[in-house]
Amino acid sequence: MSSSPTDVLIDVTMPQMGVSVAEGTVVAWRVEPGDRIEAEATICEISTDKIDTEVPSPATGVVTEILVPVGETVDVGTVMARIATGDGAVASPPQPLDGGTAGAPTTETKSPSPAPVAAARNGDRRYSPVVQRIAAEHGIDLSQVPGTGRGGRVRKQDVMAFVETEEPPLHIESPYRPEPVTPPGPVAEGGELSRMRRQIGEHMKRSLETAATCTTWIEVDMSRVEAVRARVGVTALAFVARASIDAIREHPSINAWLEGDRYTRHTDVNLGIAVSLGDDGLIVPVIQRAHELSVEGLAARVRDIARRARGRELTPDDVRGGTFTITNPGQYGSIMATPIINQPQVAILDFEAVIKRAVVVTDADGNDSIAIRPMTILGLSWDHRALDGALAAQFLASVKRNLESVS
Amino acid sequence: MATHMAEPAAGGADAGVEHLTTEDRIWLLRAMLLMRGLEERAMSLYRQGRVPGSFYDGYGQEAVSAGAAFAMGPRDRLCILHRDLAAHLIRGVTPSRILSQYMGREAGITHGRDGNVHFGDRNLGCVGMVSMLPDMMLVATGMAMAFKLRGEQRCAMTWFGDGSTSRGDFHEAMNWAGVQKLPVVFILENNQYAYSTPLDKQFAVDPVERAAAYGFVGVTVDGNDVEAMFEAARAARERALNGDGPTLIEAVTMRMHGHAAHDDMKYVPKEQVEEWRKRDPIERQESRLRDIGVDIDALRASVKEEIDAAAEEALAGPMPDPVTATDGVFCVGEAEPLGDGQAPWSGFH
Amino acid sequence: MPTLTYLQAISSALRDELRADDRVLLMGEDIGVFGGAFKVTDGFIEEFGPDRVMDTPLAESGIIGTAVGAAVVGMRPVCEMQFSDFISCGFDQLVNVAGKMHYRQGLAVPITVRLPSGGGFSGGPFHSQNPEAWFMHSPGIKVVAPSTAEDAKGLLHAAIHDPNPVCYMEHKHLYRRVKGEVPSGVFETPFTARVARPGSDLVVIAYGAMVPVALEATEDLDGAAVEVLDLRSLVPLDEEAILDSVERCSKVVIIDEANATCAAGAQVAALIAEKGFESLDGPVVRVATPDVPIPFSPPLEAAVLPGVDKVKEACRELLAY
Repeated sequence: MSSSPTDVLIDVTMPQMGVSVAEGTVVAWRVEPGDRIEAEATICEISTDKIDTEVPSPATGVVTEILVPVGETVDVGTVMARIATGDGAVASPPQPLDGGTAGAPTTETKSPSPAPVAAARNGDRRYSPVVQRIAAEHGIDLSQVPGTGRGGRVRKQDVMAFVETEEPPLHIESPYRPEPVTPPGPVAEGGELSRMRRQIGEHMKRSLETAATCTTWIEVDMSRVEAVRARVGVTALAFVARASIDAIREHPSINAWLEGDRYTRHTDVNLGIAVSLGDDGLIVPVIQRAHELSVEGLAARVRDIARRARGRELTPDDVRGGTFTITNPGQYGSIMATPIINQPQVAILDFEAVIKRAVVVTDADGNDSIAIRPMTILGLSWDHRALDGALAAQFLASVKRNLESVS
Repeated sequence: MATHMAEPAAGGADAGVEHLTTEDRIWLLRAMLLMRGLEERAMSLYRQGRVPGSFYDGYGQEAVSAGAAFAMGPRDRLCILHRDLAAHLIRGVTPSRILSQYMGREAGITHGRDGNVHFGDRNLGCVGMVSMLPDMMLVATGMAMAFKLRGEQRCAMTWFGDGSTSRGDFHEAMNWAGVQKLPVVFILENNQYAYSTPLDKQFAVDPVERAAAYGFVGVTVDGNDVEAMFEAARAARERALNGDGPTLIEAVTMRMHGHAAHDDMKYVPKEQVEEWRKRDPIERQESRLRDIGVDIDALRASVKEEIDAAAEEALAGPMPDPVTATDGVFCVGEAEPLGDGQAPWSGFH
Repeated sequence: MPTLTYLQAISSALRDELRADDRVLLMGEDIGVFGGAFKVTDGFIEEFGPDRVMDTPLAESGIIGTAVGAAVVGMRPVCEMQFSDFISCGFDQLVNVAGKMHYRQGLAVPITVRLPSGGGFSGGPFHSQNPEAWFMHSPGIKVVAPSTAEDAKGLLHAAIHDPNPVCYMEHKHLYRRVKGEVPSGVFETPFTARVARPGSDLVVIAYGAMVPVALEATEDLDGAAVEVLDLRSLVPLDEEAILDSVERCSKVVIIDEANATCAAGAQVAALIAEKGFESLDGPVVRVATPDVPIPFSPPLEAAVLPGVDKVKEACRELLAY
């Protein structure tokens, strides 16, 4: 489709989602060439190392071409599509965003294009709430779905049938069609790894290949923590976090980055907390300046970032700048692990399940007896390029001491 | 034939003395003084804007509730109406809770859920009234029905006004109580006016005559003689417990204030008001007790002190928490029946 | 397990309650010597005596009001309105005295009011009503409506045990037409909805006599898998079950035998529009009796009550949408 000589063409470029991000992958297009789009309406979805997000259109106009197909990764700044704004004016002023347009799939109004249009897609098409929801969940372009409902509308079974078929339906009326849309996200029963899963894998592999990873463990009696928890109602993780921060004060070289040969010891403790996203993988949001927070404050921040992580509400800044990481997968009952260091940090602390055990306790007179205590094993994976086992052990001993003297 | 200004039945000055000790007679006066004093204090608070909604009182008819309620035993049950505050006091509801109730505070008997005299402490055997009159006559009838079915020596009592004798529930209750011969005492407070409606617009026969039409005893009593009221109620209770069925007691009195605080009763002839002022129930009882040497001033002082303390306590209490506004629509768990109330009459000890 | 008619199930519940709990008292017009207008209490007076199966005066307000009194001194009265239509004579006692008492005074009123409801037999305007919406709208009153024999017994036991006023909508049309296996003895059916038939393409929401209508209309509907949800309890309304059906089926037809405006189905529709919006694949459709008094002559009555054909048509149209 050609644009008129007086058209101003506006570029839609790959955005930089965070300071350290260099590239992004197109995950879905919301438009096709010939479609009209309003400024600020979502034009496509992209995925980066850390965050998946939507890209708002920079202008109001008609999409003239799409240059980066779904699934392709390009550098930040690459032109992905172009919009003709029609009258030589710059993009129309941004319209106020309302909550509805930001996250939810929008209904599309199609202006009649010069090419012949299929009967099923004549004029305006409206989609019911459940149809839109299913389409969003599976990344389906509803304009591709034939409707068998009244007046040709897309019914729930139509979009469900579309989800279940391998190929999108054939288009025979016009040769100008983009590549078939592959639904993004995790596929059921075999297929490719999701983008996020691949990213996580590469990060982990890189860490093991770079660092000289060792793991040291220590047993901790959590009875005092449990007693205070019963009073205050705060997650045990918050206690472990605070105890670690205090231990970092005594052994500051734990709180550092090693990038190649460059070793940077940080004074701020920006504490990363690993959050599981279920089948989708995991993400490590960071509590910035965690050393300034009390146990209750840490608990509140942990709750907040976990909730936002699971709700996919994290910003790029939420996941950068970590100096030390804690992972806490203990709710399933596992007792020890060999965590992988979160590059470029030099150590990561693993906090597994707290389990009641029979332990030997010695009283003030030196008499031994058996007691039942809630015990846990803290594991520290550390980079032997940056520190030695003695320091790792001392750090763990400090954490242990801090936890066992909580009040 | 109904008269516009019903005359109280002749009743001797010592109508109730046979069954009343001196302490009892003092109790009766105290109850009336407390009722009047509380209502005056509440009226003052109402005019200060501290009592929301409407305010009703039983000024001038204190004897009707004080006398009748005094005859009720701890296991008897009461449906008390809006001009019968003395009945609540006799059963054991404290003045502070009553003032809190008027002011819509958390410490009120209904915790702010219903206003003014629309309350009944279920732990003291009182059922809170509804505004549709005389719905409570049927509830009292039902309580009496249960007592009879279970063979219990208990009765139920309820109050209602001249106006409500025109409504269906009056007739259904009278009929039901008469047909089943139930141990219920119906106190008809004939205070001459239903809001602005005088008696000759309300009934074509004297209401006390209706009792016979429904098959039971009806008596007319001087509603401003607390001891006569007591005696009539005591006799009615005895009748009920003997299995001789209900009694309708028409207590002839006069409503000395308007229907509510917002009513200036311009429709009542001044002469009528003056006539009845001379028959004030509190003055009459005070006069009796002075004659036997009771220190009325000390009693009045003690009542005032009690009311002052109650007002102070009530005013200090918090308003209900808005968060609780939708609580308690349904009972969860066991349904608890009404509890027993206080019964200060010496005849019960 | 014995097979009982809906009516026999109600009798069974009443009988078992009278046997198990001294506090239970039946009150109504013609229920004692005559055994009840529909013979629900036939033979009861012989077993339990006139004090516990009480023939009351003709006074609906009296029945409800005295029941309240008896309840607050420890009895468990089960009142009968001979026809649900006559509840209007006792409306004030039920709504203002019974319904509001616990909220205002903390005093529980454990009464049950049996309301033989519904039309379909030329009863005319005063013997055919479904007045439940009036009481759904009154705070403090629970409302249940069984459609099966088992639920008729279980819900009645539960209603009698409940410490609150409960309106028990027994549908006259189902008395002898519905049979089923009913457990013996005292048991409670919870105040929740029940999936009468599971499905996925569309859900018909109904209660009382409209449940068998829904089941018949959708049994064989062009191969569609139609779910039927029997509400069973109107107050409390089982929001979770309703929204669950809507989420799975996405298309909803709601049936009311009661007059359409502000009927129970209107409340269900409002709930779905507000909380089930994202699950919907079509408008929420209602099939309800129009706002007319129920007429007497059979062709007129059949024209207004929701029947199998009307429900079929509504479902077909919505399935095709």
